[in-house]
Amino acid sequence: MFLSVVGLSTVRAADVEGMVKIQHKLTKHRVTAPTSSYERGAAVRLASDHADDPLTFERMRVVIYLEGQLASDPLTATMEQKNRMFIPDTLVIPAGSTVSFPNLDPIFHNVFSLSKPKTFDLGNYPKDHTRTITFSKPGIVYVDCHLHPNMAAVIVVTPNQWSAKADAAGRIVLAGVPPGSYTVVAWHRAAGFFRQTIRVAENRANIVSFVIPLEENGAMAVAQR
Amino acid sequence: MRFATRTFLWSFIPFAFLLLGSFWAIQKLVEHTVRDGLRSSLRQTHLSIARVRSENELQNSRFLKMLGENATLKAGLKLILAEPKRGDARLTVEDQLREICETLHVDFLLVSDPEGAPLAGVMRFDEQLVAMDIARIRPPQRGLMTAGQRAYQVVSTPIDQGEENIGILSVGELFDFSEFTTPALLAHNGTILKSSIPGIPLEEVASALKGCKEQSECEVRLRGETYISLPLESIYFGEGYVLRSLQSIDSASRPVQAILRNVFLIAGLGALLAAMILSVLCSRSIGKPIKVMVSDLRESEKTGLLPEFHATRSSIQEIRDLRESFNRAGAAIREARKALHRAYVEFVGSLASALDARDRYTAGHSRRVSEFSCAIAHAVNATSEELDEIRIGALLHDIGKIGIADSVLQKPGRLTKEEYTIVQQHPTIGRRILEGVHAFQRYLAIVELHHENWNGTGYPWGLRGDATPLGARIVHIVDAYDAMTSDRPYRRGMSHEDAIRVLQENAGTQFDPEIVPIFEKITNIALERRPAISTSVPELQSIHNLADAVNEAELVPKGLIAKDT
Repeated sequence: MFLSVVGLSTVRAADVEGMVKIQHKLTKHRVTAPTSSYERGAAVRLASDHADDPLTFERMRVVIYLEGQLASDPLTATMEQKNRMFIPDTLVIPAGSTVSFPNLDPIFHNVFSLSKPKTFDLGNYPKDHTRTITFSKPGIVYVDCHLHPNMAAVIVVTPNQWSAKADAAGRIVLAGVPPGSYTVVAWHRAAGFFRQTIRVAENRANIVSFVIPLEENGAMAVAQR
Repeated sequence: MRFATRTFLWSFIPFAFLLLGSFWAIQKLVEHTVRDGLRSSLRQTHLSIARVRSENELQNSRFLKMLGENATLKAGLKLILAEPKRGDARLTVEDQLREICETLHVDFLLVSDPEGAPLAGVMRFDEQLVAMDIARIRPPQRGLMTAGQRAYQVVSTPIDQGEENIGILSVGELFDFSEFTTPALLAHNGTILKSSIPGIPLEEVASALKGCKEQSECEVRLRGETYISLPLESIYFGEGYVLRSLQSIDSASRPVQAILRNVFLIAGLGALLAAMILSVLCSRSIGKPIKVMVSDLRESEKTGLLPEFHATRSSIQEIRDLRESFNRAGAAIREARKALHRAYVEFVGSLASALDARDRYTAGHSRRVSEFSCAIAHAVNATSEELDEIRIGALLHDIGKIGIADSVLQKPGRLTKEEYTIVQQHPTIGRRILEGVHAFQRYLAIVELHHENWNGTGYPWGLRGDATPLGARIVHIVDAYDAMTSDRPYRRGMSHEDAIRVLQENAGTQFDPEIVPIFEKITNIALERRPAISTSVPELQSIHNLADAVNEAELVPKGLIAKDT
């Protein structure tokens, strides 16, 4: 599956565009109160689904990137801790990037990960403190907080600079991809990886589209996570 | 008091007391049983509560162990232990606890360091989870903790990290009386904290319970009702806390007692009524023969007779015996009465004879006067009583002559004026002799007044006409007749005809003019019956014969019967 394109610098780049289509809701979001609350009969504020269309929510958490050791342009990103949430909860960065985790809540937070590409624990720190860490290996890094089990985020460390998140409508754009054959990967936290090969050529539309998850009989399903 | 009344009282009163006493005892017994039953059911309730609660506690302890293994909580605890001075560290843990509280719906969560000093905690207060003021809270390892007006039941579990104990987690629930089906109260060192007994202030309950020992069952009086209080020992609330049930026995047993009271009232009144009827019947059956007996006696008292009672009239042995003995007594009295009468008559007769015997000329005088007087009295239809009075009175009429010297009485020849005056005293003397004897009272009139004349010229009082009693008037006439017809030493007696003539001449002056003709008739009849002695004065029946003819009963004063019986 590794079809790499050589001599990128000499070739004029082209954009890869496409659509992500989400079949149904993927993220489990608890919307009901615990049973004991009902038993007790007290008024509870129910956790609600995301304000947007659930499918929009899912689409916006689909990450697209190209496989292969291509040019990488490390950057510095920020993942805030606010209202007991990581914001954003999905972050895409090329390998070698540094992420800063500022705590904006009046309480302590803790940032840690047990994921293979980067295992770390930034420890507990109070409001207005921040800690940073650099992700050098590509992969999926799940980030959690020891103190708040409901807090969860994911950092997708891509092997190169061509990566993007789908927008609300599910549109995807990878700009300036040098012509050649590539494997385009779509990843969703719950659904997993979806791969497609594409030949990118200049002066024509390079369209790629994903249906997540696959049709029921599409067999491949959620493999290779 | 009547015999029947006495019998009734003696049978009814003990019976009534016995009945009332036994009903009272039964009522008390039943009451006691009801109370015991209530007490044991209360104990059963306690046992079942205790069982439920111990099951709950077991579950809670498992749940608590799980809670102690909460990794997030451990992280929070470690954070707070690492940053003990920082408020936001506490805030972080409180935030965690709040979340656990919401999820598990407990009312009280607190973490303490291994020494038990509180670090952070939240508790439910008006449905809000508020942070605890940890400086002022010292929760027990296990038991009741009061915060504000609320009491929380707290259980603790250690939080271990590996082998090391890093703190203690205390979980509590609001203590809720509504779990108990019986009214209960919670006390701490004698102070009532909470009570589910409506309408009675806590202080009043506390003072009533003052006498109760900490962990024992006791009975208390509260507002006039008896309450039973049992400590709920199965639930441990910590040092000094006691949870007691407090239930009114009175109100619980009231319906049963009301039924009992009704039953006993009806049964008791019925039994009393039955006892009363039985007693009345009993007393009547005892009293009736006696009543009959008494009425018989009354009857005999009224008549003055002592009749024979029919011993067979009563079926009761004692009454028959009584009747028989009464009959025997009556017979004895009658016999005695007869003897007395005989003695009396004999006495009077002998007295009269003694008097007459002083002088052969006057021999038989008293007897004759008595016979004739009786005959006259009979002719004028005198009553038997008057007849008797006249008969005896006539026998005794000259008794006063005992006190007059023989020289005067037996003087041959005419009496001088002085001697005559002495003789004239004999009625008064006679009265004096007899008036000392009660039995002779009736005859005094004849003895004293048999010399009073019809026209008032007689002695000793000079009474006129009817003022002199009939008996005395009769005896006056017969005495004069017998005196005239008797021989005297100095003269012969007059013939019958001459004597009658003298009487007739003096009728209306000296003698009662109505009796003289009657006397005349009687003497004539007597003479006709005995022609052989026609020339002489008529000889009448002997005193004894005549006395026998008189009704025996009439001789004995009536009062005697009444007194003797």
